Amino acid sequence: MKSIRLERVSKSYQGELIIDNLSLEIKAGHFFALLGPSGCGKTTILRLIAGLETVDSGRIFLGDQEITHVPIYERKINTVFQQYALFPHLSVFENVAYSMRIKRFTTEVINAKVADALKMVRLSGFEGKYPRNLSGGQQQRVALARALVAEPDVLLLDEPLAALDLKLKEEMLTELNQLQDKLKTTFVYVTHDQFEALTVADQMAIMSPQGDIEQQGTPKEIYEFPVSCFSANFVGNTNIIEGRLHIIDKAYQIEVEGLGLFQVYAPTEKLWMIRGCRLFMSVRPEKVLITKKPKEGFSNHLQGKVTDIIYYGRSTQYRVRLQNGQHLLVFEQNEEHFPQESIDWDDEVHLYFQKENVVLLEH
Amino acid sequence: MSMKAFRKIFADELSFVFSCPAILWQSVFLYVPFLLLVGYSITDFNETTGTWFLTLAYYKQIFASLYIQIIFRSFFLAALTAAICFAIAYPVAYFLALKVPKRFKTILLFTLIFPSWTSLIVQVYAWFFLLEQNGIISTVLRFFHLISPTQHLLNNYFTIVVGMVSCFLPFMILPIYAVLEKMEKHYLESSADLGANRFETFRRVIFPMSLPGVYAGVMLVFIPSFGEFAIPTLLGGAKYIFWGSAIVDKFLRSRDWRLGSALVIVGIMLPVLLTAIVYAFKKIRIYLVTRKSKQYADYLSTHKELWG
Repeated sequence: MKSIRLERVSKSYQGELIIDNLSLEIKAGHFFALLGPSGCGKTTILRLIAGLETVDSGRIFLGDQEITHVPIYERKINTVFQQYALFPHLSVFENVAYSMRIKRFTTEVINAKVADALKMVRLSGFEGKYPRNLSGGQQQRVALARALVAEPDVLLLDEPLAALDLKLKEEMLTELNQLQDKLKTTFVYVTHDQFEALTVADQMAIMSPQGDIEQQGTPKEIYEFPVSCFSANFVGNTNIIEGRLHIIDKAYQIEVEGLGLFQVYAPTEKLWMIRGCRLFMSVRPEKVLITKKPKEGFSNHLQGKVTDIIYYGRSTQYRVRLQNGQHLLVFEQNEEHFPQESIDWDDEVHLYFQKENVVLLEH
Repeated sequence: MSMKAFRKIFADELSFVFSCPAILWQSVFLYVPFLLLVGYSITDFNETTGTWFLTLAYYKQIFASLYIQIIFRSFFLAALTAAICFAIAYPVAYFLALKVPKRFKTILLFTLIFPSWTSLIVQVYAWFFLLEQNGIISTVLRFFHLISPTQHLLNNYFTIVVGMVSCFLPFMILPIYAVLEKMEKHYLESSADLGANRFETFRRVIFPMSLPGVYAGVMLVFIPSFGEFAIPTLLGGAKYIFWGSAIVDKFLRSRDWRLGSALVIVGIMLPVLLTAIVYAFKKIRIYLVTRKSKQYADYLSTHKELWG
C-alpha cells in the first residue's frame, strides 16, 4: 500500500496534447476513483501510472520513490484491463500464476498463492478451465486474481466492469469494495460511470473533458458540494438555475428572472461571490419536495405544472414547468404502496426546498 | 427416409450443394487414383497362368533396398527445409507483424511474396543460371579466387537446400505473419504489467500464441518439399536421388508401376506416422497437465483451510 503522486505531468499522443501539466495525489490505502467523460484522458493517466506510456514531461512517484523512468515490468503496480486480457493459451491456474512463474517461485508457493487468490475471488475449482470457457464476470475475477497475486503496491482498474450487465456490475462493485477493505492496497479505478465511482470509491476525482482535474474529494463531498457546473451535472442529476446574487445583512439571496427571490446559503464564502454578480444555483432533484397541497416551513417555494412523469420503481421523476418556462427535475421516493396524494400529468404542484440544499456555482 | 427428411438434410443445405463440385473433383482425381495406386502396389499378374494375385513383394523390395533410404533422405531434406525456413521466417514475420508501421506492412509483405508468383520451375532455373559455371555468383567467387577455375556451385546438397528454402520460404512467413498480426496488443501489455520483460513476454505469450501459425507453416513447407522433385533434380544433378525423383523414374522411365505405387504408399505413410506421433505427444501432454492439476488437488485437500 503506497501513494501515487503525479507532478505536472504532460503527455501528447500523435501531436495531440492529452494531459497538460496535471498534478494529482492519490493517498495510500484508498479506493480512488478517477471519473471523467470519454476521451478526457483518464485512461492515459492510468497507463502513465502503470508504465504502459511514458510521460513527455513531469514526474510520477510511487510512495517516496520516483518511478517516472522505471520500466513497466519493474513497477510494483498491476492493472486489471478493460478487455481482461487473459492469456487464451493458459489455464486459469497458469494465468493467475503468471507473475510468479516469471519470478521463479517454487511450485509449493505458487500452488498456495493461486489457491488463495482464486478463493479470494470465489473461483476455487476453476483452475483447469480456459478463459474462453468463462463468463465475462468470471474472466473479470480471474483478471483481478492475476493482478492481486503479484501483491502490487497499487492496483489499477481500467473500466473493469464496463462489459458486465447491471446486476453483475453491482455485485462486483460490492466485492471490489470488500476486497479493498481487506487488502488495504491502494486501488485506482478509472470509469466514466458516476454510479460505479460513487458506489465503490472512498476518494474520487472528477476530470473535465479538457483533461484537467475538476474536483477531488470524497464521493459525498463531490455529490453534495460540487465546485462547478460540470461537477454538479456529471455526478448525479441536478437543476441548474441562473440568477443574480443579492447580499442583504449577510444573508444571500438569488434573484431569478420570472421566478423572484430565493433564499440561499453559502457555507464558505468565495472570492467571486460579490454583490450583483451573475451565478448559477444547483438544486439536486431529490432535495425538492413536490406536493399538491401548500406546506409550511420551507425557505423556498415554487409553483408549476407537471409535464412529464417517469416511474423508476424505487423513485419517480417529475418534470415540472415553472412560471418562467424553465423545467425543474424532481425525484420522489416511492415510500408507500398507497400514497396519500397521487400526482398526475398536467397537475398544478407546489415545489419546496431548503436554502441549505442549494449550491452556488461560479458563472 | 422420407423425401422431406432427405431434403432437410441435403437440399436445404446450400453449403453441401456448393461443395459438391469439390467433393466430386477430389473423388475422381484424388481418391480414385489413390485407390488405384494401392491396388497396383499389392497385386501382381502371373503371366504363365494368366491370373491376378495379392502380394507384398514390392513393399518387401522397398524395405530391403535403397528405396527406404531414399524416402528417409527426402524426409530429412524436407525436415531440414522446414527447420531452416522456420528459423528465417519467424524473425521476419515477427518484425513485419509487430514492429513495422502499418503503412509499410503491405508493401513489405508484397515484396516478400511476389517472387513466389512466378512458377517454381522458373525460380529454380533462375538459381540454376546464377550458380552454374558461367553464372554471376560463380564468376564473382572465381574472380576473388574463392573457388577454383573449374569449380561451380551446382550439384551439391547445400545448393539443393538453398533452392528449397528460397522457394518455400513465403509459405512459412505468411501463416506466422497472419497469426502474429492478429495478436492483440493488450496481451503483451498485460504480460509486461505482470512483470515480464520482452524476452519473457516472447517466450510465454507471443511464441505460444503464434504456434498455430508455425504448425501451419511447417505443414505448408514440409509436405511439398517432401515430394519435391524439380529442385533436387535441377540443382543437385543426378547425384542425389530423392523420393519425388525416384517415383518419376519408376513411372516414367523404368515403367515399374507396381514398385512405384508401393514407393508412393510407403512415402505417404511417413508423414502420417509423424502426425500420429505428434498427436500422441499432445495426449501425453494433456496427461501430464491432468497429473499436475491432480497434484494441485491433493495439495488443496491437505490444506483444507483454503477452501471457502
